[in-house]
Amino acid sequence: MTSLDRALSTLLWLLALIFIAGLAHILTIFYLPTHFAKVPMETFAAFAKQSQLTLLPQAAPGASLTPFADPATVQGICTFDLAQGPLHVHGDVDRDRLLTMSFRTPAGMVFYSLTNRAAQKGKLDILLLNTAQLEALEAEDDAQDEGAPAQDLRLLSPTEKGFVLLSALANFPSETADAEQRVKAFTCETQEPATD
Amino acid sequence: MANWRLRVHFFIKLLGVVLAGVILGLGGTLLMLERGVSFGAVKAGPWTASPHNGSLDVDPYARAMFAYTGELPLGAAEGIGFTAQKDSMGAPLNAHCDYIVSGHTPQARYWTMTLLSPEGLPVANAARRYGFTSAEILRAPGGNFEIALSRHARPGNWLPIGDASKFMLVLRLYDPDLNIATLSLDEASLPALIRKNCR
Repeated sequence: MTSLDRALSTLLWLLALIFIAGLAHILTIFYLPTHFAKVPMETFAAFAKQSQLTLLPQAAPGASLTPFADPATVQGICTFDLAQGPLHVHGDVDRDRLLTMSFRTPAGMVFYSLTNRAAQKGKLDILLLNTAQLEALEAEDDAQDEGAPAQDLRLLSPTEKGFVLLSALANFPSETADAEQRVKAFTCETQEPATD
Repeated sequence: MANWRLRVHFFIKLLGVVLAGVILGLGGTLLMLERGVSFGAVKAGPWTASPHNGSLDVDPYARAMFAYTGELPLGAAEGIGFTAQKDSMGAPLNAHCDYIVSGHTPQARYWTMTLLSPEGLPVANAARRYGFTSAEILRAPGGNFEIALSRHARPGNWLPIGDASKFMLVLRLYDPDLNIATLSLDEASLPALIRKNCR
């Protein structure tokens, strides 16, 4: 073996090492969120009933279900499974106090979000659907053809399962109970799938 | 015989390279998660924000980081969060030092400034104060504010560091007047984070 052969062989081994390291790195980055880690949805499923609004414990020293949560907010969640039917989220909002809502995949990624500014006449009324449910509803609209615009906001979910996170800001610690009431003012319910 | 030996030698080498590669790759993943590497992050002075984290455009590294930490980022329409792990001079935040956070924030309906442990939990302190909201902060006549970060009680807006060995600051802008998708900020539009005395 000449010194050139030896150098080439070392180079090949080095390239193999870089290739394997790169592959291991990319695979773990892509598969960690769905395969290796506990997704938020699983954490919530342990204590929250599906399609029912459940208050999350407020962020406090020592432990939190949702790390990095704002301790000035009160949060509630509704987990959903659209296979059971569309999810209807509705409630009254206070115009002057911040309430935000985000619709998330099981891993917690946001596919839609809004604030209480989106409310019409002090109400937020949202229907979360999968593609089949949305198409069925649109067909129903066409059949009725009353020309009246639907009152509720229809949202298409990219995943069958996921959760809705509601957050109300307490401007002062003394307003925490009020913020809690503003979250509790919302109802989540699974609508019966259309039977026809 | 020599041929057989060569083969064993080759397989041992191959096994070593595969093992070393996997260890290197996993180490790289862990390092990136610990450092919170995210593409498309916007930096302004000591503050960092990732505008795409509030939508499905989130990059794979940020996605992996959220799975690792359990954080639920703010939705794009809810607002945006900025984190600071260093002061305005670029030195890591030290729990044994006092800091002054001063200036103003970009226009937003509300904002909150929170002191958290690196794990994302509020830090225990006797005053049970974990942050300030824009509504409760005391301001100077011009509208600017000053928050003192310290282990010891301070007059005005005092945000206790408590017994944390390490900490970070999170500034959340709720319903901001910013186009989050094309966010670019200069240092002057966010509060400065100046180190004072250390003990």
